[in-house]
Amino acid sequence: MTERPCTPAELQAVVLSRELQDGELGAAGASAAIPMAAMMLARLIHAPDLQIAGEMFVNPRPKQLWNSMLDDRALGACEAAETFLELFGHSHRGLDFFFHNGMQVDAYGNINLHHIGGTIDKPKMRGPGAANISYAATSRRFYICTGNHSSRTFVPRVDFITSPGYLDGPDSFRAAGLTGGPRLCVTPLAVMDFHPDTLRMRLKSVHPWSSPEEVAANTGFDLLTEDEVVTTALPSDRELSLLRETVDPKGLLRE
Amino acid sequence: MNETMQRRRKLVETDAAAALIGEWLGDGDLLALGGLFKQGRPMALVREVIRSGRKELKLISSPGSGFDADLMIAAGCVAETFLPAVTLEDRMCPSFRAAAEAGTITAHCVDALSVVGGFLAAANGVPFQPVAAWKGSDVPANNPLIAPIECPFSGEKLFATKAIRPKLALLHAQEGDVYGNVRHLSTMTYADQMIARAAERVIVSVDRIVSTENIVERSRETTIPCIYVDAIVELPYGAHPTGSFPLYSIDEAHIEHYATVAEAVRRGGDAARPQLQAYLDRHVRGTRDPQAYVDSVGGAARMKELENEAAEL
Repeated sequence: MTERPCTPAELQAVVLSRELQDGELGAAGASAAIPMAAMMLARLIHAPDLQIAGEMFVNPRPKQLWNSMLDDRALGACEAAETFLELFGHSHRGLDFFFHNGMQVDAYGNINLHHIGGTIDKPKMRGPGAANISYAATSRRFYICTGNHSSRTFVPRVDFITSPGYLDGPDSFRAAGLTGGPRLCVTPLAVMDFHPDTLRMRLKSVHPWSSPEEVAANTGFDLLTEDEVVTTALPSDRELSLLRETVDPKGLLRE
Repeated sequence: MNETMQRRRKLVETDAAAALIGEWLGDGDLLALGGLFKQGRPMALVREVIRSGRKELKLISSPGSGFDADLMIAAGCVAETFLPAVTLEDRMCPSFRAAAEAGTITAHCVDALSVVGGFLAAANGVPFQPVAAWKGSDVPANNPLIAPIECPFSGEKLFATKAIRPKLALLHAQEGDVYGNVRHLSTMTYADQMIARAAERVIVSVDRIVSTENIVERSRETTIPCIYVDAIVELPYGAHPTGSFPLYSIDEAHIEHYATVAEAVRRGGDAARPQLQAYLDRHVRGTRDPQAYVDSVGGAARMKELENEAAEL
């Protein structure tokens, strides 16, 4: 393939947008340009009543995408401006869907944003931590969306569970009283889901510019892989034009 | 004969605000900062804390923090952080990371519900706020702000997050009056209203003072009533380099400049340390006068750019 029809970030946004259903309630955290693009695109194409509501805003109308989606540049226009009082209601009742990124993501979709190496008290590398860890446990499902796909990020076991995925598999997930869990993991190289029996991450589709071999080489654990791996469906003309012209006119996802 | 009593004004000059910080905040005290990530942070007051030479502070904030915490850590003011997320969003906070890894600060493992719940409990005058949303995470086992409890009605296992009563809270908003009524014009008010009710003392900086008549005409827009405010100070651009929407946007270039200097120090560069000192000398220690600060970061021309960026949103 000589020329990519879209960037990895654009494909990630389109893949995620197709997952979101009309009438659902969802949100994304900080540094969430791709998830916000996915939600905006879904509203334009198939889910006009998708409700976007984090702790402090309901149905924002950003004129463009921003790296940070949690300040007035993105949220200045919205249907309701709330306060952190809403944190409790949203976190306890949960959302239909949420999005997570991670410094480390493991084979069961557990997410680490706290430390790599050492201990939480004596970290070799201290991460930023997470503002709200609750949505992984209380939301109906969540999506993992990363800006890179490397064996440094995709590790066999996270050093610290900031937000739980499927823990060590079905038994531990059930024992912890968790429901929901990660639905998909969408990276610049591929889309992964979780095997229904083992809840381990499995290759679902590979982006046209990558290959199962490249994905495996950049994943730090044995990724379940079927014999025939499909190629991720590219954006339709309509998806791509709405994404570029309406959702992301400044081309943040094309950088 | 017909003279009536005059109401006490809480508006203070910059020097008086500095003196109040010195009076109300001691070494080792818990300091709360308002705003979120890169907007609405009380940066001019934070620089005043650094100039006051306070040490061993415990730092807490609304759930998202970054530049101000990093600057205070770089200046050697902080011993412990109770900050859920510490990030510049497009990059990590260099001084926070370096200090946590070197063990020169204790970066407590806390999350949004424990911090905001602690503010809420204190604001409501109760000892704790129950939380039921942390299954599966390693954070609760390491979080010093919480303890396990049972629901007295159902027996369900929950957590209590204890009331947080900061010694001093510093907040920034766009408008206020001489009696300490505060109005955020920004879409978001973050946790500022809870923090104001939770803290023992509250100092608010505002970009401009408006008349009390104006406050009364738009009373539904008052975000923090004067009864929760101890002092108010007019500090135009007082949130810079964070944003104060809709008045001026985030000075990403300035934050990036600081982060690049601090990151060079984190990477082990004693050679870079003078640059960080120069930053602190130029923008923090050398400039109590608000106008001198504005001049040090690009002056009126740069402020105009940030105002235009905010206006075009």
